[in-house]
Amino acid sequence: MAKILVVDDSSTVRDEVAGFLKKHGLDVATAVDGKDGLAKVKADPGLKLVVCDVNMPNMDGLTMVEKVRGELGNAAINVIMLTTESSPAMKERGKAAGIKGWIVKPFKGEAVLETFRKLAG
Amino acid sequence: MNEKPVCKVLVLDDSPDHAEALKRICDDNHLVGLKVRKNRLMSVLRSNIDLGAILFADDYGGSAEASAEIALKIHAVRPELPIIIRRQRAATLDDLPESMRRVLCAAYVGSDMALLQQLIDQYIFSLEYPNALVRGIAEITETVLAGQFRNLAVTCDTPTIVRDRIIFSEVFSLIPLESNWCRGYMMLQSEEDPILDLLDEDRPADSSGDFRLVNSLLGEITNLIWGSFRNRFVGAAAASSNSHVQVPLVVNHKHKYISFGTENPQLCFCYTLSDEDAGFSVKLYQRFIFNLSWSPEDFKEIEDIDEMVESGELELF
Repeated sequence: MAKILVVDDSSTVRDEVAGFLKKHGLDVATAVDGKDGLAKVKADPGLKLVVCDVNMPNMDGLTMVEKVRGELGNAAINVIMLTTESSPAMKERGKAAGIKGWIVKPFKGEAVLETFRKLAG
Repeated sequence: MNEKPVCKVLVLDDSPDHAEALKRICDDNHLVGLKVRKNRLMSVLRSNIDLGAILFADDYGGSAEASAEIALKIHAVRPELPIIIRRQRAATLDDLPESMRRVLCAAYVGSDMALLQQLIDQYIFSLEYPNALVRGIAEITETVLAGQFRNLAVTCDTPTIVRDRIIFSEVFSLIPLESNWCRGYMMLQSEEDPILDLLDEDRPADSSGDFRLVNSLLGEITNLIWGSFRNRFVGAAAASSNSHVQVPLVVNHKHKYISFGTENPQLCFCYTLSDEDAGFSVKLYQRFIFNLSWSPEDFKEIEDIDEMVESGELELF
């Protein structure tokens, strides 16, 4: 069962992040946008951590997190945003939705691997 | 990298009396003057896509009729390029045939180079790009490219001002730029095969890779540059402008031509990714087209950029 869900509309980022995490022994699933991510969170109660982009088609990442908390009532799953965005207003919106952290792209796996392991444990 | 953009202009003026004055005005205005033999003019026009203007003389063809014919041919091949003509007697287009007046943008005389200076400002450098913006764009993009292609050296040529609307590469991306000081687009262009080679070094030379990989990579590079541009030059408070004006973008595939609905010159950067040991290089062309709004007087870098979280680091809440 997957423990980490990587949500990004860019296949380059999905492949990079998921590939890195798999290489380090973590179970990873992917979703192509917020709508897909929401469906996968709903379908897989074993997910522990979502690594999520903000700007995506169909449904953005922050809206997805708010729906995970609100519509799905899932307060337990950990969320890290991985995005080019760094605006304080967006971060505040993420905090209000209970995200655990924020990474401004690019993804530097070695720097966050241990934290990801803990949040996915 | 030189922060001041240069502009390539084609100098079709054989007069030795004016050569020195033209050279001086080119040097003073960051113009790179290109001379060409008459029999190679059309091929040079077709191959030098990054031109900014034509400095033409009314006696270039040897006769008024021949000069007119050349001007019309230039306009047919490169209609977006302003043709500034040096006249023998008076700085006017009024005495020229209608067909020629239509393809020329302005006239000057050799005895009044101040007028040519005005025309250069008006038709070539009509948009002024702050040095901090030019320098910052190059820094942002080089950082992004170095991050994506860790084993390759990244260099940036001196930026140029271009007038062309030609799509000259095989794949390009577009992303809107919105702020209180600019509205327009950033465009990235490159070739497909060299990037596929980068992505899949084991790919046989005669096989075609998955072009979607190139699309995705170019898209992500665009996204990363866009994000850094916003963080450095736009900021959250000014991220949205009040204007909702849009104009159609027109892409003509047959002629590999893209129109942003404006004649404004574009700011162009060319980056080279190279691996000298492997004898490999790929070029990436980046253009900024501020077609909807341009107010450089309101431009400023975000001052607290150093206080931002470093890219790639996790900020825990």
